[in-house]
Amino acid sequence: MRLKLTSAAIPGWFGVALSLLLLAGGHAYAQASDLKLEVQLIWGTNDKQSPDPKHKPVAPEVLNKLKELPLKWASYFEVKRISFTVPKGGMTSVALSEKCKLDVRSLGKSKIEVTHFGKGQEVWKGTQALPKGETLVLGGNAPNATSWLVVLKRVE
Amino acid sequence: MMDYDRQLKLQAYLDGELSEAEAREMGNWLARDREAVALHTELRNTRQALTGFEVGIELPESREFFWSKIEREIERQAPPEPARHSWLAGWRRLLVPAGAIAALALAALVVTKSGSEGTPLEASLADPGAFTYRDDSARTTLVWLSYPAENELADSEPSSKVP
Repeated sequence: MRLKLTSAAIPGWFGVALSLLLLAGGHAYAQASDLKLEVQLIWGTNDKQSPDPKHKPVAPEVLNKLKELPLKWASYFEVKRISFTVPKGGMTSVALSEKCKLDVRSLGKSKIEVTHFGKGQEVWKGTQALPKGETLVLGGNAPNATSWLVVLKRVE
Repeated sequence: MMDYDRQLKLQAYLDGELSEAEAREMGNWLARDREAVALHTELRNTRQALTGFEVGIELPESREFFWSKIEREIERQAPPEPARHSWLAGWRRLLVPAGAIAALALAALVVTKSGSEGTPLEASLADPGAFTYRDDSARTTLVWLSYPAENELADSEPSSKVP
């Protein structure tokens, strides 16, 4: 079949080509720019309410993700939420508590290296691609059959 | 009823393919057998009829005149239209490379996107008691560490028992 380019179809074709170029260019620019991330420190418990009035239930979006995971707790409360930026090729430290911090290094192409520190010691280090929509959750047990969770996700 | 070999031999006799002795024998047979005579007559008539059809067809005109008519008919047909240089052709020259570039950009986009999203978690400092769980539908990776929170955060959050 022969493709016929009519005068009416030309602007459409040109628009499609231009849009794709802009899309590709925008994507390349986004990849070359800084990573905007958000980390939440979450407490998991079977209590319906947190004894700390500063704690608030996690957002439904996060709760749905946690419910998909093999975790046993009935309630999850947001203890701390920090938004931060990791420069391209750089590293950002985020203090989650006095003794717990997270180092996030940008490795390019949405890939990050995460180092979790507890009491000044490296507890865990790993790399993973973290495009928008992807979530990395670190967690562990806490006293009184509760849990701590660090939820890291890409904002932009 | 005459057998097949006899029929073939009679055909060969008609075509002059038999030896002299065989031909003589066939002549004697034809003198005796009326059926053989009838078949011989039929074969001869058939051969004559076919020979008449093979006469070449002659044109009522000379060869040169015949081919000159064909040549004139070819020349009479309209010559091919010269290619028009329209603005459409100009646009097409622009659109074809633009489309190719766009397709390449799209392919690069897809490859880059899939490449970055398909990277699994790689732990370089593994907690020996840790385990990893991946939920592709939720696009979530869980790393459960054996690191006990103890009272680490309890220092700042005494009432909540949060690590």
